[in-house]
Order: sequence, then structure tokens, then C-alpha cells
Amino acid sequence: MVMTPPPPAPLPALAGPRFLSRDGIQPLLDLLRADGRRVIGPTVADGAIVMDEIVSADQLPRGWGDDQAPGRYRLVRREDDRLFGYNLGPSSPKAWTFPSLVPISRATRSEGKVTFDPVLPEPPKIAFLGIRACEIAALRIHDRVLQGGPFVDTDYAARRADTLIVAVGCTVSAPTCFCTSMGSGPELTAGHDLAIVETEDGLLVEAATPAGETLLAALAARVATPEERARATHEVAATRARIGDPVALPGLKERLLAQPDHPRWAEVAERCITCGSCTSVCPTCFCTSVTQTTDLAGADVVMNRTWDSCFSPSFAKVAGGSFRSRPRDRYRQWLTHKLATWEDQFGTPGCVGCGRCVTWCPVGIDLREEAAAIAPVRPPEPVIAPVAATPGAFAVGRVSAVRSETADTTTLAIDRLDPAFAAGRPGQFAMVDLPGFPPLPISISRFTADGLVLTIRGAGPATRVLCGLQPGDEVGLRGPLGTAWPLDRVAGRDLVIVTGGIGLAPLRPVLDAVVADRERFGSVRLYYGARTPADLLFRDELEGIWPHAGIEVALTVDRAGSDWSGPVGVVTHLFDRATWDGSATHAFVCGPERMMQATVAALAARGIGAARTWVTLERHMECGIGLCGHCQMGSLFICKDGPVFSIAQLGDTFGREGI
Amino acid sequence: MNDQATLVATLASTWFATGLAPAVSARLAALARPVSAPAGTVILREGEGTDLLGVVITGRVALRTLVPERGEATILTVEPGDIYGWSALVPPYRATSTAVAIEPLEAIVFPGTALRAALHEDPALAAALYPRVLLAVSRRLTATRLQLLDLYAAEQVRSW
Repeated sequence: MVMTPPPPAPLPALAGPRFLSRDGIQPLLDLLRADGRRVIGPTVADGAIVMDEIVSADQLPRGWGDDQAPGRYRLVRREDDRLFGYNLGPSSPKAWTFPSLVPISRATRSEGKVTFDPVLPEPPKIAFLGIRACEIAALRIHDRVLQGGPFVDTDYAARRADTLIVAVGCTVSAPTCFCTSMGSGPELTAGHDLAIVETEDGLLVEAATPAGETLLAALAARVATPEERARATHEVAATRARIGDPVALPGLKERLLAQPDHPRWAEVAERCITCGSCTSVCPTCFCTSVTQTTDLAGADVVMNRTWDSCFSPSFAKVAGGSFRSRPRDRYRQWLTHKLATWEDQFGTPGCVGCGRCVTWCPVGIDLREEAAAIAPVRPPEPVIAPVAATPGAFAVGRVSAVRSETADTTTLAIDRLDPAFAAGRPGQFAMVDLPGFPPLPISISRFTADGLVLTIRGAGPATRVLCGLQPGDEVGLRGPLGTAWPLDRVAGRDLVIVTGGIGLAPLRPVLDAVVADRERFGSVRLYYGARTPADLLFRDELEGIWPHAGIEVALTVDRAGSDWSGPVGVVTHLFDRATWDGSATHAFVCGPERMMQATVAALAARGIGAARTWVTLERHMECGIGLCGHCQMGSLFICKDGPVFSIAQLGDTFGREGI
Repeated sequence: MNDQATLVATLASTWFATGLAPAVSARLAALARPVSAPAGTVILREGEGTDLLGVVITGRVALRTLVPERGEATILTVEPGDIYGWSALVPPYRATSTAVAIEPLEAIVFPGTALRAALHEDPALAAALYPRVLLAVSRRLTATRLQLLDLYAAEQVRSW
């Protein structure tokens, strides 16, 4: 078969924007009305600029602007006569595409029989005049929510079917605007038929659809000059620059959903009066209820779809009570839906950054401020480039001190190392090599001013030789490698550390950090299990330094002679019947994997869930830098992606046999 | 711990006996008496008859077993809130290990014979108490299995 090239696309009838004087808006209005459309545009009413039906250009808010701030809206006179020199008011196209009350069904009930007749709307043809990029983004969101799935809201679909949009690119902004962060403005990119940018010169009008081209052709406007075009581009760009990037969207979903227990939810609820203003001015909020109005006999019923709000007390009510009885739960539901869970449901955030919820909140709660407080962007941890970062290279360190911890475990202090080692973080490890033996991943059990400390159990030939090193001996090191315990996440919170055996070694730097800055953390509890009393590591710290620093230390051993008066049994017995509250506690766990599984289960039973529990894993490693392939676990490399993971991150792979 | 009300309240403060129905709690307290013992007291001897089921209030009880040439090895300690002497409820009513108070002990004890008779004649008491004993014993059994794995041993130590 011979392929023939497709015919060239027809050139647009009109290339580039046209210029209209401000008075040229009336002919446009006339054209839209002649097309049988109700024109919904901005007008001044009740002390605000609202959307309403417009028949004459005289109704437009010529020369009006506004002063907006959290909880504040005032009309102000502009010094010029711009038609679109205002920022968004309380009303949005939602009032026409998704009215606050529409009948959806007529029903009857008579002598035990019932009937339902869906009401099919006969909406007017509408043209929106003057709506902004963020509002078009909101319409796109409603399109997805209300008609993008398997079930369609027929009323919305009918109203939306023939809407024509004459949009305005923003050359003004309010302090409450944040479309730039949400990716919805201020530039007009899609979804409109005609785009207007208003400058001091007048109106630059550009068609984006055939319907728009027809209108533009009928307006017989001249082509805009390059200078006029440049001014329009500049004014919209200046708007973007003025707004800046007030909401850190990348990663916001994950950061927010990780904070269901943040104290700020309760704090904001102290101010929130759960009035639902935010949801009624929001252009994307779509939650509704069905209200029924009946005749006196109750036989003829009209079912109305009415706007509802997740802030209303009855919103989450069932026969047994409300699932979200507390204001903090309702605020969290609203904010996390807008900025996080909406994305899972519909592919984008449910917020377009119009700022209406900020302006129209009677107590001035600012969504941007709340999101930043509850889900702050943590400055990225400085990346410590490991030293000797190729499989064949090792930095040479010198053993400066040796301490025998137990019969088979030795602690080596290593100094004269590259400063990168000392800048490592608790939980990281080093690949350690002696020529003639395989390189081994060894936990760093302390960071010192000019080096680090390794605690090694002599379990095989290489580790036994390492344990036998003497002061002055040299050893090869690569590191510091891998992820760290998330100390920033637990700052200000309660921390539980559960370790077994040699597993205390990678947690000692965490305890060092607690001792160094005790005020940074809430309560800190260490539960440590060893094989026998003689196998307990770091006795000085366990018995002196840590308890004196206000760390609650509890020890247990698997077996003991009669000289041991402490607990004997598994480490979980130290806390499974304790009375502390785990609902806001974080846990760090290290030990043999089977012990960690039992611990994670016991912690979960105490209310410490997968997102607040971290473990460190051990796997065979030859390189420690993601090149040798040995330490794979599912989709993770333990060396690069770990060794510290949250249980939520590991999911089902944690504790599964043979992964 | 010298009156009935204190006894009931003390029992209710332990995880073993917390949340019992008032009638059950009263019945149990009627059988109970507080005991104290200095550190070093042998409470039960492995293989001998178990006369008392005890709930530790304060202190620590070591459960020990004699291993030839190793002496007495402690395999578990009973901490506050937990029970010792559960063999008082299970034939042949003989202790499975030696129990020694290794810290000064305050406990509430139930005479085995009287408790068994009460459990036999009072189904409500039996229905309330047996699951708690079973829970305490199963918690211990699960832990013992983990201990048996000897997880903290060096790699080359294999006992099978």
C-alpha cells in the first residue's frame, strides 16, 4: 500500500492577535448575544466584582480594582479605565455550570408505589466573558470529576456542552493569588475560544478555536503591532513574577499525607469556624447533597442537588455519628483533598490557586500558610559525596584506638580520614576493606571530628581480622554511604529505638545526636535486647551516659545466669505492655530481620504505623554504590536506596521470604 | 493492700486483670491475698507442686531451669502485670521452672485449689479468667520461640 502524505493543515484565517479598543468590547457582546448566548461577565454588585449576566459594556467594572488579603476584600478605584483591571471576586463560572441548587429528579410516592423521573436540564447557551486562566483550569477539573469517569452528572454535562469562553490573561494579581504554583496561570494556554490581554493600549484579542476565529473575523479588528504584543507579553510575565511561587507543590502531596497527626490541624481548628465559605467560593469544590421538597401529603417530591461542604457537621454523618465530628478533622479533610488525595482520584490537585478561600475566609485562614506549616519543604540534606566512590578505590584510614566490646565484637576508632566521613549522618555505613579480604559493609557507630568509629562483630574471616587490628594499623574505607535515620522528621516528637544484638551500632550515632541536643526531641526510649548480659555493647553509654541524658534505657537478654537481675526475654516484652502513647511516636528499629518483624508488629499494636517506623536492612554488598547488583530487594538497592527505610516504603517486601 | 477494695483496684491496674467485670473482679479478689518477698526468695521449684497463681505487682521474678554444668539459667523474667505459677491451673499442677524473686516482690496470689474450685463452679469467672491466662501463656510461648531462634548469635553458631 502506498502511503500518501496528509494534506497540509489549513493556515489559520487570522494570524496573531488583533487589537480592539476598550470600546470595541460592546460589538463583541452584541455578537455573543446575537449567537443566542447569555453573556456572563464581571460587574460591580454588593461591594464586590461578581459574575452576572451582562447585556451592555457599561455594566463592566471599568476603572475598578480591588484590595484583597486573607479575610479582606475591598473595591478600589483604579487610576485608569481598564475593563479587566480587577482580581477575581467571590463568584466563579461554577455558579452557572454547576449551580448551587438544581432539580435532578421528580418523584412520587402513592399507595406504596414510587416513581422517579430524572429532570433533564434545558440550560441556556452561555458565553463567559473575562474569566481567567485559573478558572478555566477549574472548569477542566470539573470536566474530569463530573463527566470524565464512567458515570456522568447529566446536568453539568448539559450546561457545559455549549459554553463559549472569552478569557482574560492576567495583568493584575492579588496578594492571595498562587496560580503560578498550581500550574494554572496567569497565562491562557487552553480551554478558551478567545483570549484577551488588556494593556494600557487596549485589548489584544486572539482566537484559539474556530468559534473564536469566527467571532474575531466579525469584529474586523486590525492586527496588533509588535509593540502592542510585546507590552501584553510583558504585562502577563510581570504578573507571574509578582505572584512568585508561594506554594511548594512538588512533593506536597506526600508531605501532607505524611502528617495526619500534625498539631497544626488542631491549632487551625481553633480559628476555623467551619462556616464553609472556602468551599462555596472554591471553583472546584463539587460535593453536593440531595435535598427533597415535597407537597404537604408527601406524595410529590422534587429532588434537588445542592452544594454541600465537608465543613458542615452533617457531611460525614451516619446513623452511629459523624466520622469527622471535630473541626480539625474537617479542615484536614478539606486541605488534604484539595492538595493531595484529589491527585490520586483525578490526576491533578483539586486547587487552581485562585486564592478565593483565602480572601473569603472570615477569619483569614490562609491555605498557603497552613500547607507550609503542616508540610514544610525540608531543605535537602546536603549530599555528602562519598570518598573513594569507585569499586576499586578505598581511602586509607588509621586505627587510632581499639576497644573490645564483647567476646566477639570490637570497636575500632579510625582517624586521619577525609572530612567527608566526619560529615556523614547517623545510619550511614562504610565499605571496609583489608587487602586480601572481601570488602564489607560496616555500620558507622559514631562520627568523630577527624574520622569515625566502626563496631564490628567477628563473624567470618574478614571481620575477625578486622577485629584483630591494632592501633596504628591501616584499613581501606569507602563512604559514608546510604540513607540516614530521619532525625529531622522526629525532631520535637517522641522517639522509640528498638535494637537487638549488634543492631545497636548503627543507632549509636542517633543516641549521640540526642545527647548532643536533648531539647530537640521529645521523650526518647531505648529498648535493647542481647543474647546474654556479656553480649551487651556500649556498657558505658547504656548504664551512664544515656540514662543521665534523659534517655529511658531498658535492657533484656535472651538468657542469663543467676548473676543477672535484669529482665530476660524478647525485646518486644519491654514495651508491648507499656503505657506510653504511641499515636505520635516515631520508631527506629535495627536488629536481625526476624526480630525486626516481631518488633514492627508490636509497634503497630502500640499505634506506631508503617509511615512512622524505620528499619535498617542488611544485604550482601560488594561495592556499596549501586554497581555490583548484590543488595537488590524488590525494586530497591539496599546500598543506595537504604539501608534505612520506612516500613511504608518497603511495603510487602519487608519480611517476605526469598526476596 | 489490706482491704478488699485496694485488692480489687490493684488487680485492675495490671494488664493481666484489667477490665474485668465487677462481679468477676470481686469474686477473684475474695480468693486473693497480697504477698511480699525479699529478693532471693524461691517461690516455686521446678517439678514441685504449684500451689499459687501469682500476679506480679512490683519486682521481678526469674524463671530458671537447671542445666547440668551450666547451673541455673534464667530463661524468662516475669515483670509487673504478668503472672507466674500458671501451672496451678493445668494438670499435673507442677511447676515447669524454678521461680525466684530477683528483686523485692509484691504480688497478689490465688491459692490453686480454691481457684480451681471457683473456676469449676462459676462459669462467668472461668470465661473471664481462662482467656487471660491463655493470652499470658501464648505471649510467653511466642516470645520463647523467638528466643529459641537465638537470633543474636554469630552466624556460625547453629544448634541444629
